[in-house]
Amino acid sequence: MKWVEELRRLLQRVGKEPPSTEPGGIACHEAAERLFEWLDNELESDMHGRVGIHLETCARCYPRLLFEKSFREAVERAAHDGSAPEDLRQRIMTSLESEGLTESEAGRAEDDEA
Amino acid sequence: MDAVYRFALRLAKEPDLAEDLTQETFLRAYQNRDKYTPGTRVKSWLFTICRNLFLRRTERSRRHDEIVTEAADEDARHVSRENSVFMAARDRDPEGEFWKQVVDEEVLRAIDELPPEFREPLILSDLEDLSYQEIAEVIGVPIGTVKSRLFRGRRILQKALYDYAVEQGIVKDTKPDDSIDAEEVSE
Repeated sequence: MKWVEELRRLLQRVGKEPPSTEPGGIACHEAAERLFEWLDNELESDMHGRVGIHLETCARCYPRLLFEKSFREAVERAAHDGSAPEDLRQRIMTSLESEGLTESEAGRAEDDEA
Repeated sequence: MDAVYRFALRLAKEPDLAEDLTQETFLRAYQNRDKYTPGTRVKSWLFTICRNLFLRRTERSRRHDEIVTEAADEDARHVSRENSVFMAARDRDPEGEFWKQVVDEEVLRAIDELPPEFREPLILSDLEDLSYQEIAEVIGVPIGTVKSRLFRGRRILQKALYDYAVEQGIVKDTKPDDSIDAEEVSE
């Protein structure tokens, strides 16, 4: 429609984005491009919210979100069974104590590391 | 201590070397504790020390590292934004249920086979939960590079695990017309 085009041109001239009917106000390709950053919590809060709305409410993008989440969970699950062997723990404590580490310092360091 | 050991193990791929690296990391960190920047995550600092020790041990010289990673970054720039594994699997398993059936050992094996420039950011992000900024500091590259390497590393990992799932019959084989584009994920 002619008036829609006219409005779009006017908004572009004043530097504003035309209104969007896409979920979250962003297009599918943009949501897909930001999917990893969204899952990694690396987007600014406004964009994080908009991408989240899009991914969770768009019929086309939602399966992709579930797919990536499921992949991420498989990677996280695989990685969480890696405790340092007990004898290594002991060796490290012995070598640090010989450098002058005290028990209270060791406790604090364990807390900080987490 | 577990996080440093896990990181060392994925870097070195050998338990003995990983133990040595972990022990040396803590020793160096204690000896240089005045160099730790308060307010930053200790875990991140320990990873940086561990990685530097690993590079020195394996004689991956800085220059060699730069050449390899320049090529990797150039390569990453050409990767399509399209999720090719998702595209290949979407008709049979659009929600990626098959990921749940891929055994942990296979996931770790596929991670270990990633080229180091992609393996490191992936481990630090997906396994150790570091932010892009923290990863950039550990590896010594810009945030944009972390992002593109993570993107590419995950795509390569997905392709490897998808191929395994097809091979094991977890996912039915793809038809030729929607098979994964080898160009897109090849080295």
